[in-house]
Amino acid sequence: MPADTITQQAAAQQSSSSHTLVLEMKGIRKSFPGVDVFTGFDFDLRKGEVHCICGENGAGKSTLIKILSGAHAPDGGEIIIQGKKVDSMTPRSAMKLGIQTIYQEHALYPLLPVFENLFAGNELGHGPIVSRTAMVEKSDEVLKCLDSDISPYEVVGNLGSGEQKTIEIARAFIQESKIMILDEPTASFSQKETDHLLGLIKVLSQEGISIIYISHHLDEVFKIADRVTVIRDGQKINTYEIANLTEQQLIKDMVGRDVSAFYQRECCTIGDVMYEATDVSGKGVSHASLVVRSGEILGIAGMVGSGRTELAELLFGVEPMATGEIRIHGKKVNVRTPLDAIANKMCFITEDRQSSGLFLIHSIVKNAVIASYAKSHMPFARPVDDVKLATKYVKAMNVITPSVNQKVVFLSGGNQQKVVLAKWFATAGDIFIFDEPTRGIDVGAKEEIYKIMTGLLKDGKCIIMISSDMPELIAMSDRIMVMRDGEMVAEVNRREEICEENILNYSIGGGV
Amino acid sequence: MMTLGKEEKTMSHAGVGRRLWQHENTPILLVLVVMICVVVVVEYFLKGRVNFLSGMNISNVLLQVSVTGIFALSMTLVMISGGIDLSIGNMLSFLGTGMAYLMKTAKWGEAPTLLLALVVGIGLQLVMGWIISRTKIEPFIISLGFMSIYRGFTYLITNGREITIIGKINFLQEVVFRINKFVITVPIVLFITLTIIVALVVKYTKFGRRVYAVGGNENAAYLAGINVKNFKLLIYGINGLFVTIASMTLLARLGTGAPVMGMGKEIEVIAAVVVGGTAMSGGKGNIWGAVFGVLVLGIISNALNILGVSPHYQYIISGLLIIFAVVVGYYSGLRTVKRSVRKA
Repeated sequence: MPADTITQQAAAQQSSSSHTLVLEMKGIRKSFPGVDVFTGFDFDLRKGEVHCICGENGAGKSTLIKILSGAHAPDGGEIIIQGKKVDSMTPRSAMKLGIQTIYQEHALYPLLPVFENLFAGNELGHGPIVSRTAMVEKSDEVLKCLDSDISPYEVVGNLGSGEQKTIEIARAFIQESKIMILDEPTASFSQKETDHLLGLIKVLSQEGISIIYISHHLDEVFKIADRVTVIRDGQKINTYEIANLTEQQLIKDMVGRDVSAFYQRECCTIGDVMYEATDVSGKGVSHASLVVRSGEILGIAGMVGSGRTELAELLFGVEPMATGEIRIHGKKVNVRTPLDAIANKMCFITEDRQSSGLFLIHSIVKNAVIASYAKSHMPFARPVDDVKLATKYVKAMNVITPSVNQKVVFLSGGNQQKVVLAKWFATAGDIFIFDEPTRGIDVGAKEEIYKIMTGLLKDGKCIIMISSDMPELIAMSDRIMVMRDGEMVAEVNRREEICEENILNYSIGGGV
Repeated sequence: MMTLGKEEKTMSHAGVGRRLWQHENTPILLVLVVMICVVVVVEYFLKGRVNFLSGMNISNVLLQVSVTGIFALSMTLVMISGGIDLSIGNMLSFLGTGMAYLMKTAKWGEAPTLLLALVVGIGLQLVMGWIISRTKIEPFIISLGFMSIYRGFTYLITNGREITIIGKINFLQEVVFRINKFVITVPIVLFITLTIIVALVVKYTKFGRRVYAVGGNENAAYLAGINVKNFKLLIYGINGLFVTIASMTLLARLGTGAPVMGMGKEIEVIAAVVVGGTAMSGGKGNIWGAVFGVLVLGIISNALNILGVSPHYQYIISGLLIIFAVVVGYYSGLRTVKRSVRKA
């Protein structure tokens, strides 16, 4: 650690003693099966401050929020709220303690009017009798105070994204929260809505409410933060007063990882252009183009919500393309449905294997053969052949299971992912789209998946790989394209240019 | 053995006995066997003889279950694929009285009547399937709507009266063979033949395997290249075919098109299918299980008749039996889960 950071820290420590702390976390530990998220995490929050938390995807931000909101219990460590040690928290008791969490997705009743939403569960009135007038009046007052002209009678579903977020904040405000946690509140916002929200946050902090603000957008962080804490791999890297922090330092802290830990992939001969998508637009994506050659992995980087998955869905025909042209081996093809995509030898390993990749209550055999049915027009299926096919892939990929008839729901994450791969390998595809191929998989199985991917390249196939796991993306990709707000903003071509700082910089639109 | 799914066949480390014990149809088969034993014993002690197992009674039971059985075959497909159809009972009344009206009042011939019934039966189910597959509305409520529509048409056709057609479409009652009083008629042969065809289709065609995929995870099925919408449409079309065949069969047996002929049939059929191990949530179930389910419910009502139990008690006993069979299935399912978890 450089000397100036130490002095900064000391300075931060000193100044913090002059502030009232509303929240302290000491030595928090939390692990999930196979992963340690936090091993001794410290954090504190002052009264009336806006404290931003920055970190890459998977750094542990969500887990931190879940611990604070009572959704997850920490395995060890202390949480002190307003000077009192809290032994255990449930979402309900967290709210009673004055902690309100506002999640990325709206948690509102879209069919009910604003005032009903604001007081749901905390209705005003006497005993069982609810007073509509009291609630409407109070709603009006709070919304005015938050500088908003939304009518209390408006049905929430008719409001825009930004207004709905305002309602959520107003609800937290009404419940007299002391600490408000905002997780990526501006993810789907226009610039105007963002500005309004940032103004709102200033108002709240002046009211003495402490705010934990999580955002990928560094410009927002620099606009509103009093302090910034950087987390990486479940470790607190540093806490800075905003005045002592530069964008460069922040990115460096978010990234700085041990390079030697990267997986080393074998090199493969890169051949001719296999897959070409030009000017693809549709839901969440505008004018994206890409080219992949045989034996090559094209990595797609970007923050969560930057349109990577949406792009994959357009390419595979899940969602209709508004514009765009697809060429495979130079020949123009139409991909309107997943069936078309499979007929054109495409494979799509989706981000969420449980909801869109697997038939959990069915056996490995049933899962493995289902996509291959789309390949031929023969109406018959032979159970014996199906079992043979599944057995072949179970062996080839080293799926750990007592039998090929085991229901997939009983397999571990890594083995489930292998079954998804088996399903696509059985179609004998050439063009693979991997969306988060190793999410929720332990280290050993990850490496096996990487080997399987390398094997595909050796067979002259090509891969488009979306991943939020930056070291993985860098280690596996031959080239990386970066997406931001649905657009391809950069292509990092040469091996030496591919580094986390560069990619992160493009993803968040930093000006370094 | 037909009833053994491929699930257990390849488990090399388990013996035949254990494989049978763990088969998904074992609980319902056990219920069936135990029930038959109990009925035989009770009848013997009450009456000193066992009419229940006489050739005449067995052919009687088979004839009675054949209509419900044909319904249950396509209902199983519908339910495995994640759907449900509450309209079949009233559709039966509608088609049955409609055919009776055409033959008796409008003096149509048998062939054109049956042909029109097929077209209308399949067509109406396709309309319902179209709505269900093109929207995200629950099939429960759509079919409930159709149920009411069919009831209305039934009363319009009949004006609330029965239409007797004794002597028409007699070929559906022909005796195929007989040994003394054990008589096998066309409906029974039809039921058995259709059962075998559906069981083969489910096991040996892509269509059959895909029924499970669509019911198991619609999203994943779509991504695996299945046109889920048209697939569901097809399933309801097949359902229309089976409902029409069952309606013809029942009409021939009753010799009368009565507005109440299909009343409550949908509940009976759904109960049998669920008792046979098909999940209301889709993705799970099998044809042979449904057949056993139909047999369990058919036999209990027959047995209670033979034992002279009042029809009022019969409803209660049937209800208890349905709950019992489903609970047995639930616990045997739990047992399988525990076993798998231990292994994995």
